[in-house]
Amino acid sequence: APLPTAWLPALQLARRGSKAVTRHWKAMHFQRQKLLAVTEYLPPRPAVPPRCLPAQREHPQEEDGYARLLRRQVEQVFRSSRMVAVCQYNSMPDEDVVTMRYYLRKHNIEVKFVLNEIVRPVLAQSKYRNLLPLFVCRNILLVSPETRAREMLRVLKGIPQVNLLGACIDNTILSRQGVENFSRLPPLEASQGQTVGALALLPSQTSSLLQHGPSLLTALLDEHIRRLRGTAAPGEPPQEQGKG
Amino acid sequence: PAGPGGVAVPRAGLKKLVLPPDYSGITFPEKPKLKFMEKVPAVPKVRREPRRLRDIRGPSREATDFIQGQYGILALGGGYLHWGHFEMIRLTIGRHIDPKSMFAVWRVPAPYKPVTRKSLGHRMGGGKGPIDHYVTAVRSGRLVVEVGGRCEFGQVRPFLAQVAQKLPFPAMPVSRQSLQEMRREEEEKRLNNQNPWTFERIVTSNMLGMRKYLSPYDLRFHGRYWGKFFLKHRI
Repeated sequence: APLPTAWLPALQLARRGSKAVTRHWKAMHFQRQKLLAVTEYLPPRPAVPPRCLPAQREHPQEEDGYARLLRRQVEQVFRSSRMVAVCQYNSMPDEDVVTMRYYLRKHNIEVKFVLNEIVRPVLAQSKYRNLLPLFVCRNILLVSPETRAREMLRVLKGIPQVNLLGACIDNTILSRQGVENFSRLPPLEASQGQTVGALALLPSQTSSLLQHGPSLLTALLDEHIRRLRGTAAPGEPPQEQGKG
Repeated sequence: PAGPGGVAVPRAGLKKLVLPPDYSGITFPEKPKLKFMEKVPAVPKVRREPRRLRDIRGPSREATDFIQGQYGILALGGGYLHWGHFEMIRLTIGRHIDPKSMFAVWRVPAPYKPVTRKSLGHRMGGGKGPIDHYVTAVRSGRLVVEVGGRCEFGQVRPFLAQVAQKLPFPAMPVSRQSLQEMRREEEEKRLNNQNPWTFERIVTSNMLGMRKYLSPYDLRFHGRYWGKFFLKHRI
């Protein structure tokens, strides 16, 4: 409903004191001062003061495109490589870094510098959750599509600033000792050949096994025939024995 | 991140690459610097005018929003600007802006209102004095100058504040966003005011015969303006 229209006052305080607009701050009538004091702004007071409520932490909403790209790269690296070794990296002179990269490249191992704040969320969501404790300080990743641990260890032995922390080879998480043991294993082809040989041992004996009885019988009969022919005595009943 | 001994070890994270600001929609005027304002209008006034101080009173109706630039000086009170003020503004801003990448625009006209002065040391009487100088009237809420171009508010604010301090009325440097923010906050305050008694309500319905002590202009100004002053903290 619109506010009720008011009546104009019969008396008006005019021609009193200075004009309406002055350069100085004109003194207000006391009634006006009281009116201004009554009609001051009162801010809203919530029932529970905000400082009693749990602190609202502002989570970062803007996702950096660059961070997203790096995360995608890390995921791709983990998917495409068979061997991923995590090493602690202390500051090295640049030429030493280049030399290390060169030697590792010869064995088809790539060196990747990663930021923990990008790798940690990626690992937490993938199946490599147990590698999370390794990504604490400055670190590098040595990735390779082949598993040549022996050459890698040889190269890293000559560099005191880079220390191997752990590795994930063929979806198996290995510690430092595990990697050393892994490197001392015979190469894959040799072990494959050994396994095939071990497995093929029994089937290779099958034919000789099957022929064992008849061959024994044949040998006995031959012996018997020889004895018969040799002694020229009346044929003794052949001694039949059970198949051995 | 705590290091050995509980000392915080600073660590650098990924650098957040910020895109440079986009200055695509900015049109530069022909002359980037402020125009020279004449002391006296081209056709000087012959007839002496009454003082008419009501051109200072109340909120401004013109030049309240930005036209070309992004930053400007907002007047928070009424007053008169004379040629000395104009020169000060022109020279200070001209000294600080780079004409190749920034520009400035006047939002007040050149002095047009004649102000008379009687010669010093004479008694009252003898008619109205001759015209002494010309001034422009500025009401509160009006923009005085606008600055724009390929620049940020932080770059422009120091010298605009310097200029604003020297003006005869209270003023402050504003940008488009900050002005919008101010207006939005004012609106919010007006809406969430917990006081059931507002000046507007009491005056329009003449509660307690308050209009005996107030002016008819207070119906329009709602207690925010008093003479040439603008009371920022009221509602």
